[in-house]
Amino acid sequence: AKKFAVTEGKHAKFRCYVTGKPKPEIVWKKDGEPITAGRRHLIFEDREGYYTLKVLYCKQQDSGLYVCAASNALGNTLSAVHLSVKGPAVRFR
Amino acid sequence: EIEGAPGAPLDVCCQEANKDYVIVTWKPPAMDRGSSILGYFVDRCEVGTTHWAQCNDTPIKFARFPVTGLIEGRSYIFRVRAVNKCGMSHPSRVSEPVAAMDPADRARKGTSAPWTGQIIVTEEEPVEGEVPGKPHDLTVTEATRNYVVLSWKPPGERGHEGVMYYVEKCVSGTDSWQRVNTEIPVKSPRFALFDLAEGKSYCFRVRCCNAAGVGEPSEPTEATVVGDKLDIPSAPGR
Repeated sequence: AKKFAVTEGKHAKFRCYVTGKPKPEIVWKKDGEPITAGRRHLIFEDREGYYTLKVLYCKQQDSGLYVCAASNALGNTLSAVHLSVKGPAVRFR
Repeated sequence: EIEGAPGAPLDVCCQEANKDYVIVTWKPPAMDRGSSILGYFVDRCEVGTTHWAQCNDTPIKFARFPVTGLIEGRSYIFRVRAVNKCGMSHPSRVSEPVAAMDPADRARKGTSAPWTGQIIVTEEEPVEGEVPGKPHDLTVTEATRNYVVLSWKPPGERGHEGVMYYVEKCVSGTDSWQRVNTEIPVKSPRFALFDLAEGKSYCFRVRCCNAAGVGEPSEPTEATVVGDKLDIPSAPGR
């Protein structure tokens, strides 16, 4: 899977374009576990029709393999990326 | 056959199908067998199953009803029964099947297995307090003694991500707003309300919410009286 990195404390936005009819059901997973929407995890369809997962205020433990799984009556498929959360940049004086 | 029960309702049709509700309409039976019709019951059945479920608990007087609680993407057929003081009619002929989906989704013809593109990850700077703005153009699109249908437009750009809605009602002349969907906010910009007190007049307003919080309410609607401008459909030939 492709690798992406974000800085600790920032938001990570995952966007995935999905097609299929009937409209597929989408499940976002991290390391195999389904993600439920909550205070730090927003799940929505954005204005351009991309399925979006937003992880707010990333922590080190948000690093891992993220999967967007789509299924409808005709089948299922998924896309995956690896996220790593880097520690905040150290300032040199 | 119950002695004196009305004939079956006619021409059951579906209008305004979307993923939140389907508005079912019909015509009164040709025969009311001498006593007037007290109302109707609408039944639904998911295509491919044989299970008929009754949609309304109390009889509907007006020959039009928004059926809610449908599963998005599934297809349904509907039938209607009429009731008078002697009893219930046979069910009508069933409607054409209709899918609980938004017109834009229906327009994309055919079926296809899902396909997912590459996931693109971007880093975003946290912005404090992205509470969404007000929804606008809130209107009452239908009002009868059984239900009211509202629709509105989403807020502007500010904090629009993951926006959902809370609907509030208020008896006209008072200032006590009550949240209607207390449990779960709705995702689409429309709502069908039931269980309003007949003869009372209500105003409605809508608030947006997202992870950051609940926004300011929209402008309230004009007062809407619960009762039928559209009363019991008159029997044919009258």
